[in-house]
Amino acid sequence: MNKRSLNGTQFSNIVLGGADSLHRHAEYVNSLNVFPVPDGDTGTNMNLTMTAGITEMKAKISTSIAKTAEVLSKGLLMGARGNSGVILSQLFRGFSRGVAGHDEVNSVQFAHAMQSGVDTAYKAVVKPVEGTILTVAKETAKHAVHIARRTPDLVGFMREVVAKANETLSKTQDMLPVLKQVGVVDSGGQGLVYIYEGFLSVLESEDGVFDETAAPAPVTVQVKKPAAVAPAHEAPISAQAKLHTEDIEFLYDMEFFIDRSRNGSNAKPFNEDFFRKALAKNGDSIIVIPDDDIVKVHVHSRKPGEVLDLALGYGELIQICILNMREQHREIIQGEHGEVSAMPEVFADIPAPEVSAETLLVDPPADELAPYGFIAVAMGQGIGDIFKSLGVDVVLSGGQTMNPSTQDFIDAIETISAQHIYILPNNSNIVMAAKQAAEIVERDVTVIPSKTIPQGIAAAFAFQEDEGLEVNTTAMEAAISHIISGQVTYAVRDTTLDGLDIKAGHYMGIANGKIITTTESVNDTLQQLMTKMLADGGEVVTLLTGEEAREEDTEALIAWLNEQYPDAEVEVHQGGQPIYSYIISVE
Amino acid sequence: MAHIRIVTDSTADIPHEVRARYGIEMVPLKVHFGHEMYKDAVTINAEEFYEKLAKAKQLPTTSQPSPVEFMDVFKRLNDEQPDTQIISIHLSAALSGTYQSAVLAKNMMEEAADITIVDSKSASYGFGLIAVEAARMAEAGHSKEEILAMIERYQQERKLYFLVDTLEYLQKGGRIGKAAALFGTLLNIKPILSVDSEGEVCALDKVRGHRKALGRVLEFLRRDFAGKPVHAVIGYTSDKSATDELKEAVRTAFDLRSLEYAIIGSVIGTHVGTGVGAVFMWPADEGHA
Repeated sequence: MNKRSLNGTQFSNIVLGGADSLHRHAEYVNSLNVFPVPDGDTGTNMNLTMTAGITEMKAKISTSIAKTAEVLSKGLLMGARGNSGVILSQLFRGFSRGVAGHDEVNSVQFAHAMQSGVDTAYKAVVKPVEGTILTVAKETAKHAVHIARRTPDLVGFMREVVAKANETLSKTQDMLPVLKQVGVVDSGGQGLVYIYEGFLSVLESEDGVFDETAAPAPVTVQVKKPAAVAPAHEAPISAQAKLHTEDIEFLYDMEFFIDRSRNGSNAKPFNEDFFRKALAKNGDSIIVIPDDDIVKVHVHSRKPGEVLDLALGYGELIQICILNMREQHREIIQGEHGEVSAMPEVFADIPAPEVSAETLLVDPPADELAPYGFIAVAMGQGIGDIFKSLGVDVVLSGGQTMNPSTQDFIDAIETISAQHIYILPNNSNIVMAAKQAAEIVERDVTVIPSKTIPQGIAAAFAFQEDEGLEVNTTAMEAAISHIISGQVTYAVRDTTLDGLDIKAGHYMGIANGKIITTTESVNDTLQQLMTKMLADGGEVVTLLTGEEAREEDTEALIAWLNEQYPDAEVEVHQGGQPIYSYIISVE
Repeated sequence: MAHIRIVTDSTADIPHEVRARYGIEMVPLKVHFGHEMYKDAVTINAEEFYEKLAKAKQLPTTSQPSPVEFMDVFKRLNDEQPDTQIISIHLSAALSGTYQSAVLAKNMMEEAADITIVDSKSASYGFGLIAVEAARMAEAGHSKEEILAMIERYQQERKLYFLVDTLEYLQKGGRIGKAAALFGTLLNIKPILSVDSEGEVCALDKVRGHRKALGRVLEFLRRDFAGKPVHAVIGYTSDKSATDELKEAVRTAFDLRSLEYAIIGSVIGTHVGTGVGAVFMWPADEGHA
């Protein structure tokens, strides 16, 4: 079937397809977290962002693509959660601008709208990092513009888009060494690919209408919990993410294309599912992209010979590249040191707030405008109470797999009558949504980019009611940089990161966003983490105990600290946070 | 030459011997433990008070002297020697009604008397030292005008910083003033407290951790007095040894002409609690004792 133009109704159908495709793979996207921490939530965030977008869109579908895209964009913007969600909303915002004034678009116009989305998203991100969703969007849009004129058929056009998106996605590993190290592709990029694939599936369908009832069930991913839970399972999470320094199970990084047109009648029909499963027997990080006569294959395998034999059955093999990963890995570890924290997406170093973002009003809005108001994002009753005791007006709380959306921030802002409002996101993955809210509302809002709870507490503590805006902003930003944040949690999968062999269920000590120790015992992890955090001195140690912290472990730690660091003053509070048994600050 | 007498109240926390030495009159405030009433520095001394405070189930309360109590003192001084000029120096009016009570007493006096009531805008030895200096000047034959000028200068130059274990006492007694914003903070914070130029308790800064707090107090003092000769008094409440670190730091950091201790009495103690460390410092340059 040949489609050369897309109107508002048709556009709404492909968007629904994209949203559905993303929805079904959300859990898989969650699993593509660089850190083996139990709070990977990119898939959830993107899915919720997309859901907010289509909810808005469904209410106002117009036959004009300009109008449909505009309401979609608005819904996405308000519903944006997490850094990938914010970027996604910006991509569609730019797209909406690109189709403005058009009732329907052809492939050329569609491609330019994609490019407009990329331009908008890049402007929205302070420090764009390549190897993320941004790169996937950029390369794909560039390719789309390139091929649009000679590909007027939107189905063919979208096939190219999907192929290019997949190709770029697989390259994210080469752009961000940490992705390769862990053996995953970028999660946000993967989410975008699923959206494009959903677009394509609707365009490919007979009537071009998204059929909700026909959609397959969501792909579920099991996430390992500590200790008690079953041994390693093979798919799909371990299939995507396993890389050991010394004991790399799947040693050979293989990439090649199967050219099915060059093997004449001998070639078997290509069965993608079967092929993937066969590769998974001895491999992981599998990417298979069938595109007309060419199948792109990427796999980390322990038996490259078998993979090649298998692939030969489907056609001629071209552009074969096989690398020994142990060799590569050593180079990565040497070359890449301390750069990880530059990545926005993969460092959701604090679990996000609870499911329904609940606003706790501390004081009713005063008649007279107070000079300052504060919004902080935190999970755990105890941590929320600490923020409130420091004068925070609204504590946005939530569950481990949900970051507050732009809309949540806007709602919170509206409950505060103050001349100026500060937001403490307390999580690197929430900063962008907070900033987006600050831009949308017509209020005076400053986001202090706190990335951890200790940073947020330090910032709130540094605030002085009787000082001016500039003085306070500077003081709070300085406070953030003076504090060392630590966390203890457990690993959800085996991996190797920063030269540490991490085993599922073991504890990890994280200092300033970097995993610095991992052991089976929480006590050892705590001691090693504290040793590192107190290496340059430290006068006040604050321990925020989580839901999973045990009293005897906390007491043992305090006794150990008093003995080892008699000069440090130790303060303990029940934080009540999930996932992280301890959140620690040293100042 | 006119005869000048200095009157103050018990919250100046001037040691008994010093008062006796300079003939400083003192009107006591009162401390109430339930139904038991004590006269500050008269029927209860500081040591006894902190011992009682540690055991008390309910926090004590305090009350200001009545105008009649001031009047009695003013009358007595006037009767002893007519034409006596009285300078009556009191606890910050922002913190207590004592000053008001003294003013009322002055206005109620039937006989003619030269009485000047001074709001010290300070507390404890922060104005105790002013009363002592005034008495010293009176003894040396300075005029009332000279003494009042000195008081004004001292009010600007004297510095007072104090650290409390908990803001609870200040809060419960309603004397938390501008430091109120800090109360209720779940974190163990250490505000650097002072009494500002209006005589109100204020927090100049807040830090976490005792050592940092000490460091900040010294920074403030250095800003005020670095390189200048000074007098210092270390104030304490329940535990003198708790101020050892503070004393040592002050001793090494400043050109001290004198260093003394003063125990903070029961009335101020009621409002700041146990474990307080305070530094009172003032310049020892020309014109000052």
